[in-house]
Amino acid sequence: MKKQLLKEIIEKKEKKIEFSIITNLENGESCVFEKGKSINKNFEEHKEKIISQFDKKKNGIIEGTNIFVETYIRPIKVIIVGAVHIAQYLVNFAKSLNFEISIIDPRGYFASKQRFPDIKIVNKWPMEAFNEIKTDQNTALIALTHDPKIDDPALQHALKNKFFYIGALGSKKTHTNRCARLEESGFNDEQINKIFGPIGIKLGGRSAPEIALSIIAQLVSEVYKK
Amino acid sequence: MKNSFDEKILDEAKDWLAAKQNVVLATVIQTWGSSPRPVGSRMIINGKGDFSGSVSGGCVETTVVRECLGLLKEKKPFKKIEFKVSNESAWEVGLACGGEIAIFLEQIN
Repeated sequence: MKKQLLKEIIEKKEKKIEFSIITNLENGESCVFEKGKSINKNFEEHKEKIISQFDKKKNGIIEGTNIFVETYIRPIKVIIVGAVHIAQYLVNFAKSLNFEISIIDPRGYFASKQRFPDIKIVNKWPMEAFNEIKTDQNTALIALTHDPKIDDPALQHALKNKFFYIGALGSKKTHTNRCARLEESGFNDEQINKIFGPIGIKLGGRSAPEIALSIIAQLVSEVYKK
Repeated sequence: MKNSFDEKILDEAKDWLAAKQNVVLATVIQTWGSSPRPVGSRMIINGKGDFSGSVSGGCVETTVVRECLGLLKEKKPFKKIEFKVSNESAWEVGLACGGEIAIFLEQIN
């Protein structure tokens, strides 16, 4: 692999572009492939097969050839509402798992660069923040403030936009009250039941890192259920 | 749904290169049976034999390091190696799990 190619790969990863690295195992030549862009002439003859492998998002040698394809897909977006103590541990787990993290918190003293270096922080109320962060059905929401005026609008946005994972921190009582509020706002049981509350799998721990672990474990398990 | 698991080995390779080290990249390109790491798993090795990442669960890494050092010594740009089912001598080389893997070694230069 050429140094220049490595540089190109890292740039594309940083820009969250979907691409493949294709390698000819016979002569060691490699390049990147992006759908819709022209393909390196040395790989032209296998173009159709490379595109089909790219679409399958599968890594491997293309059958009947010596071409190895490795595809980089866009990371899953995880939005954390509440730049609280648990979030500090959560971002570390989420980084190792290659999730793309954004934190929303209108309270500037929580959502500071000093507490969350290298993380996208949106220092706004959720409804304004969602104008800045593009979301879809492959987005996850982790609501951690247990303050209705911050969490609720975010939960409502996530339910309306059918996020694949929605979790909210708080005791059973807090969650019951939350569900009642959502019902009043016009959400039905089926929608409300999509929220994991209290959030996380049962580990038994109560420290911030333990709760963060239980949340991230639940999130990963939901990724593979969809 | 698929997660874009990226163990960031290539990012680390970039740092090693910036520190003027020779780097060989090892990538799992094929697996048969129950192999510990999926296709696309990566490991990097420098001229001193330091390595990061993995291509198996620790079963064949030592041999991969040796092969990579050989590649640097012989100034060969790339090489493909395979590991088959091991017998009791799993301490030596081979996959105790009974799988088979093919690994592509290439210098980054």
